Amino acid sequence: RKRQLLTEIVLRNRLTALVVDADTTCRVLEQLLLRSYGVQTQGVDNGRDAVTLIASGVKFNLIIIDMILPILNGLEATRQIRDMGVHCKMLGVTACSGESERQAFLAAGVDVFIEKPLDPEHLVPILRELDG
Amino acid sequence: MLGLDADRLRADLNRLLAFLFHQGILDEQYLQLQQLQDESSPNFVSEVVNIYFHESEKLLRNLRSLLMDREFSDYDKMGIHLNQFIGSSSSIGAKRVRNVCVAFRAASDQNNRAGCLRALELLEHEYCILKNKLHELFQIEQQRLLAAGVRYPMLN
Repeated sequence: RKRQLLTEIVLRNRLTALVVDADTTCRVLEQLLLRSYGVQTQGVDNGRDAVTLIASGVKFNLIIIDMILPILNGLEATRQIRDMGVHCKMLGVTACSGESERQAFLAAGVDVFIEKPLDPEHLVPILRELDG
Repeated sequence: MLGLDADRLRADLNRLLAFLFHQGILDEQYLQLQQLQDESSPNFVSEVVNIYFHESEKLLRNLRSLLMDREFSDYDKMGIHLNQFIGSSSSIGAKRVRNVCVAFRAASDQNNRAGCLRALELLEHEYCILKNKLHELFQIEQQRLLAAGVRYPMLN
């Protein structure tokens, strides 16, 4: 009943995710969506804090990152995270919908490009894959 | 009688939701939002929507402030605000507001100040409709919960 319109999955492993979005509404919703599947989440609202957190050694199974971010934008933050040797799954989730934006985000290092809103149809297969 | 009140209010709620979907004010993303609400977070939808209202009103002020500046030329900044507005509106299912933002972004991408001004007027209008309707929805829901609560008092 709780998630009649959402695909229900039960994760075997404890997954962790970082949500990087300057918009509070989007960040809160994405974190809540992840938590509804049992994923532990942290959220930051700019690219620099995301890079700092990862550089401090905190590990995540999944990073969800927007393209337009203050202080350090999503493209550059993604590049810096990948340059650190971080190989976790990265989803670029953004309101920018053009092909050039998609190519730029993929070239920066995200694995998947998703136009907002993040929905279960996109998220659940990724969580299943991460859960093995 | 009290039970009938709760049922009547539920019918009102469903009618209003149907209207909002039919008019394109909301889309199915709003239903997904509702699905995340449960006993552990009974006010989740209204809390998230209130965050959206708070953030949106800041964005609208920023957009108006940019456009009212005679020396205005920072369309990149305007694009950033609009991207944020598009993202948050999409995330709560505010379809018409989102669509107006997309048109506004197109005008901004073309550095079309007159087009941006027209789009801003329309955006403020659509946002006002959305806010009023969602407030109405939440009020009916509150009344329905009260009526249902009175119908089913706590039993020892």
